[in-house]
Amino acid sequence: LFYLELSEGEDEALQDSTSELPTVNHVRFCENEAEIIREGSRKERKYEPRLKKITKILKKKSLLPKQSGKKGAGDGNGPPSVPTSILKHQSTQKVGVTVQQQYKEVRAYVNPKRLPNAGTGEQLKLLELLIGIIHQSLWSSRRAEEQDGSNKGISAEKLVVHGLVPGSSAMKTGQILIGDALVAVNDVDVNSENIERVLSCIPGPMQVKLTFETSAFEPEGTSQQRNKQAQSGMNNLVKLLWGEDNMDLQLAIQGMPHIVMYLTLKLDSETSKDEQEILYQYPISEASQKLKSVRGIFLTLCDMLENVTGAHIISTSLFLCGKLVQVVYWKESDKLLVIGLPAESVPLSQLRNMITDVVRTLKFMYGSLDGAFCQEENVSRLDHFFNLFFQRAIQPARLNSNASPSAQYYDSSSALLLDNLPGVRWLTLPQEIKSEDYYHMRRLYMIMGSCLFYKGYLIGNHLPKEDLIDISLYSRHYCLLPLAAEERIGQLVIWREVFPQHHLPPCEASSVTGYKEPEARYFLLIVGLRHFMLCVLLEAGGCTSKAIGNPGPDCIYIDQVKATILQLEGIDSSIEERLESPSIPCLSCADWFLPAARDKLENFTTPPIFSKLQSTSKTGTSPTSKRTLFSDSSLRTRKPSPSRSSGGSDNGNEGPEEGGGLNLHATTLDQVRKHERKESQSFGGSEGSGNLFKVSKKKNTLPNPFHLGNLKKNLSEKDPEFYNTIKLTSGPENTLFHYISLETLQGIFITPTHKEVQQLSGSIHPQLIKNFHRCCLSIRSIFQQTMMKEKKKNADSGSNSDSRKARSDLSLVREHGVLFECSPDNWTDQKKPPPTMSYWVVGRLFLHPKPQEFYVCFHDSVTEVAVELAFKLSFGLAT
Amino acid sequence: MGEERGSITLLCLTASSGVPLFCRSRGTPDKHQLPFSVIGSLNGVHMFGASLDVLLTAACTANTHVAWRVFHNSITLIILSSEEGASDFSLGRLLDNTFSAMVLILGLEELVNIRNIERLKKDLRACYKLIDSFLAPLERSGDLTQCVECVLLPHGAALQECLEAFAGAAKSRFGCMVARGRLALATEPWWQLAPQELLLLTWLVGSLPPHAARDYPVYLPHGSPTVPHRLLSCQLLPGLEVCLLCGPSPSLHTVETELVPRFWKPLLELLQACVSPQPLSLPHGATLPLGVLAFLLINREQRSSLSSVQPPGSGKEGLSPQCRAYALRHFYALVTAHYFPWEGSPGPAQESFLASFPHRAQHCYVVSTTHKAYAIHAPQHQLFLLLAPHVPTFALRPLATRALQCLTGDTTC
Repeated sequence: LFYLELSEGEDEALQDSTSELPTVNHVRFCENEAEIIREGSRKERKYEPRLKKITKILKKKSLLPKQSGKKGAGDGNGPPSVPTSILKHQSTQKVGVTVQQQYKEVRAYVNPKRLPNAGTGEQLKLLELLIGIIHQSLWSSRRAEEQDGSNKGISAEKLVVHGLVPGSSAMKTGQILIGDALVAVNDVDVNSENIERVLSCIPGPMQVKLTFETSAFEPEGTSQQRNKQAQSGMNNLVKLLWGEDNMDLQLAIQGMPHIVMYLTLKLDSETSKDEQEILYQYPISEASQKLKSVRGIFLTLCDMLENVTGAHIISTSLFLCGKLVQVVYWKESDKLLVIGLPAESVPLSQLRNMITDVVRTLKFMYGSLDGAFCQEENVSRLDHFFNLFFQRAIQPARLNSNASPSAQYYDSSSALLLDNLPGVRWLTLPQEIKSEDYYHMRRLYMIMGSCLFYKGYLIGNHLPKEDLIDISLYSRHYCLLPLAAEERIGQLVIWREVFPQHHLPPCEASSVTGYKEPEARYFLLIVGLRHFMLCVLLEAGGCTSKAIGNPGPDCIYIDQVKATILQLEGIDSSIEERLESPSIPCLSCADWFLPAARDKLENFTTPPIFSKLQSTSKTGTSPTSKRTLFSDSSLRTRKPSPSRSSGGSDNGNEGPEEGGGLNLHATTLDQVRKHERKESQSFGGSEGSGNLFKVSKKKNTLPNPFHLGNLKKNLSEKDPEFYNTIKLTSGPENTLFHYISLETLQGIFITPTHKEVQQLSGSIHPQLIKNFHRCCLSIRSIFQQTMMKEKKKNADSGSNSDSRKARSDLSLVREHGVLFECSPDNWTDQKKPPPTMSYWVVGRLFLHPKPQEFYVCFHDSVTEVAVELAFKLSFGLAT
Repeated sequence: MGEERGSITLLCLTASSGVPLFCRSRGTPDKHQLPFSVIGSLNGVHMFGASLDVLLTAACTANTHVAWRVFHNSITLIILSSEEGASDFSLGRLLDNTFSAMVLILGLEELVNIRNIERLKKDLRACYKLIDSFLAPLERSGDLTQCVECVLLPHGAALQECLEAFAGAAKSRFGCMVARGRLALATEPWWQLAPQELLLLTWLVGSLPPHAARDYPVYLPHGSPTVPHRLLSCQLLPGLEVCLLCGPSPSLHTVETELVPRFWKPLLELLQACVSPQPLSLPHGATLPLGVLAFLLINREQRSSLSSVQPPGSGKEGLSPQCRAYALRHFYALVTAHYFPWEGSPGPAQESFLASFPHRAQHCYVVSTTHKAYAIHAPQHQLFLLLAPHVPTFALRPLATRALQCLTGDTTC
C-alpha cells in the first residue's frame, strides 16, 4: 500500500519553500481535517497488501485545488506568492474549501469486457475496476457511527473519490481529483446505492461521461495544465517510485548485464512448463538474457561446490560482453536467489552485502523468500522492487536529479558505501526533541515503536535496532529517504504488513482457521509530510485484538502520526539550521592544502569555518578584500586556542564520555559553542560519541595556505620543515576531511551532512571524497572478514576448546589505513613538479564492547600521536 | 601447518577435449583426491559458459576459492584453494606462473598444438617439481610478487667480476649464480630477462635434483617461447650453482672441466662464505629497527626482491617463521591487489572498481591481533614490513621509513 503526493513543482519555484508550504499544510490539517486527512486515510483502507498492484500509488492532486480554494476564500485570485500572513488567517480559511463547488464533466473510456471475472459482488467493485475510482463507503459509515453520525452520514451517500487506481482510465484523464464526488454517469444521477447498477448497465467499450462535483475553484483547463507541468517537473526518482515506465532510465541500464533470478534446485519432471526452474526473473533484456542462459552454471556450481567444499557458494565472476560480471548467491533450502551485476558498478564485497539486504528486505515485506517469489500476484511488485534495486545499484546519480552537481557527486560516490551500512544516517541534533508519545493510541494495534526521519536523516527512534534496520532498509530501498530529502512531500502514506525478523516467533498454529498464522502480526505505517517521515511499527494480535484478514490502516493512527509530525513543525527550522551549520567536527576542504589551488579558490565561496565569522564575505568580493578578511579571521581563530589548551588536550580533542544525558561542551573553531543535549530517554543513552570526534590538529597558523600570498613559493616547494615550524607555533587548523562513524548496536551512522559537503567545494575535494568512500569500501570488506571470523571463532570456542585460537587469527584486522597522495589535475607549469598533498584514510574496528566502525580521512600533517589520542578519546576506549 | 592453512588443488586439462593432463595438490589427504566427476563438472561448466560466450573466471564459497583460466585456447587450468588467505589475486598469479612453468619446460608449441595427449602427459611430469613449489611456497614470496628473490653475498664485487669473466669465456651474455634457490649474482643481460623468467629460472634451478653439472633445455616464456635455449648449471658447492644461458656452444663438458675450475677455483674461500646456513638478507652493517618481524623489499626497476622472515634481531618470540611468511604474503596480496599500482604480469581483469582510486596510494598499514603490517610505495622500492604487535601504531610510519632507508641505504625516501 503506497500513497504519495508531491508538492507541485511550481510551488517550489514560486514560493518560498520554507514559509509557505508548511503553512499550507498546516492549514489543511487544522481546518480541513475531516475532509482531507480522512480522505487520505480512508483511501488507504481500500488497499490491502495483497492487491495485485505493486505499489499503490495514488496521485492526489488535491493540494492544488485546496490551495486555490483557500486563495479564493482568503483574498480572491491572489498570485501564488501570497504573503504567509494571509494564509494564517484562520477564520477565513475555515470555510475555504467547502464553499466553492463546481461541477465538471470528464469523459472516460471504459471497457467492461476487459474486466476480470470478479463475481464476488463486492460493493462498489465495478467503480474501481471499471473506471478506477476508489471509494470507501464501508469505512465512512463506520466512521459516521463513531462520530455520532454528524455530517459524515451524508458523505456516505456521495461517491467521493478517495483514490485512483494507477493506470486506470480515471487516472489517465488526469482530471479527476481526489476529493471530488461523482454525481452522475452519463447524466444519470448516482450515489453509493445505485452506482453498481448503473455501471453494470454499460454494455461494452464506450466513452462514459462522468460528472463530478468538485470543491476546486479552478477552471478545469488550468488544473489540467498544471497537472502536466507537475508531471514533467517530477524527477526521475519520483517517476521510478510511481512505477511509471520511464524508458530513458530503463534504456540507460539496458546494456548492462544484470539479472536477478530465483531458481529452484528441485526438478519437477511432471510439470511441462518451460523454464520451470526459474521461479522469478528480472529484467528481460538482451544482456540479461545471456546471464539467464547460463543459469545452468549457477545451479551446477551451487550444488557441486557445496558437495566438494561443504560450504555454501557465495559468488562467481564471469566475463560477459567484455564486462566482468559478479554473481552472488543466496541459498535457502532448495531455492537459490541469484543476483548478477557488473563489477564496474558494484564491487564484489558490496554485492554480497547487497544481496543480504535484499533478502532481509524481502523477508521483512513478505515473511519469507518463498512468500515473495512464489506467489503469482507478487510478480509485478517484485519487478518494481528490483527495478528500483538495479537503478540504485547501477546509476545512483541518476536518481537525484535535483541536487547540485557537487552534492550529486557526493551522493553517487558515497551511495555505494552508505547504502550498505547496516544503519541509518543519524543527525546529531543541537536541541532536544519532544518525545513523541503515541501510547494512548493503543486500540487495534499496539505501537511497537517509531522512528522519525528528516530529509533522510534519522533524528529520533524508539525502535529496537533490528526493527530500525529493517525499516530503514525498506525505506532506503524504495528511495523514500532521498525523496524526503529532495522534495517536500505533500503527503505520503504507506501501509503494509511486515514481518520483522526478530519478532517473528516460531510459527504457531492458530486453531481458528485452517492455515497457520503467527501469534501477532505486524504492520508498518510510514507517514511523510514535507521533509519529515515518521515510521511506526504496529503490532496486532498479542495483547491487542487479533487482526483478521488484511486490515487496512485505521485513520486514527494516520491522524495521530500526522499530528505528531505537525507538532514537530517547530523543530524543523532548528534541524535545518543544524544541517546548514558546519558540523562540530569541522571539515576542511582538500584544496586548501594545495597551494596551487589558491587562485582557483578565490572564486569559491568562503569555507564554512569562515562563513560563521564572516558571514558578510560573499563570493563577489575582490581577492584583496578577501585576503584581509582571511587574515582577520585568522586572528580570530587564534583566540580560542587558550581555552583549548585549558581544556586539557592541546590538539583540541573533546571526547564525549559514553553514557547519555550529558551536556557536552564542544569546542569548535568558530567559537559557536553549542550545547549538545542528548536524548537519553530515547536513545538508550549510549549514542555514538563519534559525532563530536574531532581531529582538529595543529597546523600552520594560517587557516589557509593561500592567505599568505607572498609565501606561495615556499609553500609550493612543500618544504616539510616549513610545515613543521608552523605546526609548532601554530594556532589550530583543521585537517579533518571526512568521517563516517558506524555503530552497529544502535544501527546508526554519522557522517557530515550534504550541506557541509557541498560547502567544501573544490577541484580536489570531490575526488578525495570519492576516494575516501572507495577506500572505505575495501577497508570495510576486510573488517567484515574479520567479523565473520570472529563469529566463527566464538561459535567454535563454544563447542570446543580455544587452543588454536591464536593460530588462525592472522587476519583479524583491527585497523587499516592508507596514505594517498594527490596533486591538482590541471597542472600546467612544466618546470616544477606539481605540488602534492597527502592524506590518510583510516578505518578502525572496535569489536568490544559493541561493534563500531569508524572511518576518517585527514591530512598527512597530523601527527600520529594526535590521531591515536583522538581515537582513544573519541571512543573512551583503549585499543 | 599445511592442514590448518587448507588445501590447494591444481587441475590441468586440455581445453578442447577436457582430458585431464595432471592434477597436483597440497594439503589434501589422498582419499580426498577430487573424484573425476567433480573435475569433469568443474571443466564442464566452464566449457558450457564458453560456448555461450560467457567466460567463467572465478567462484568462491565460504571457505574455498575456485579459479579458471584457459591459455591459448588449448590448456585449461583450474584451481581450488581452501587456503585462508586465498584471493583472486594470489590464484591469478599461481595460474600464470604454472602455465609459464609449463612453457619454460615444454615450449609453447607443444602446449598449443597438442598432437599426442599421452606424450604430453608424460612430458608434463618434468614440470611437477617446479609447479609443486608454487603450491607450497613455504617461506618464499617470489611466486606472488613475481620478483626474483635475491640474497646478498659478502664480497659481491669480486664475485660479480668473476661471473662476468666466466660468462664471457663461455661466450654467453647470460650468467648467474644461485644460492639456495635464490639469485645471488647475475650479469647485466640476465637482469634484462622478463621478471617472470628470472623467477622461473631461479626456482627451476632450485627445484632440480642436485647434480654436479647439467644441461637443461628451456624455453623462455616471454623471450623465446618456441625456440629452446640451453641452461647450463654447474654446482660450485652444495647449495651454490652457477648458471649460463646459451646457444649450441659451449658444450657442458667444456664448461664443467675447463671454465669452472679456471674461474671459480681461486675464489673458493669467498664462495664458501656465501653458503652460510642463514642467507644474508641485510646489507652489510645495516640493522633493522626493533620490532620488525619480517620484511619484503622489492626493487621496482629490477623487479627483484629481498626478504626475510627472520631478520637478525627480530627474536624468536611471537609468530613462527611460517606464520610470518604467511602473514606477509597475505598482506602483500591485499595491498597489491587493492591499493598499489599493478606490477608484474598482467593478471586477469581485476575488479576495476577497486583498482581505480583517483588518487595514488603511498603507504598502507594493517593492525591485526597478532601483528602489524606496513607498506611503503616509494619511487624505487616497495617495502612490506611485518611488525610485532607491541609496536605502537603511531610509530609504524617513522619506523617503516627508517627501515626502508636502512635497507636501501638511501636517505632520500
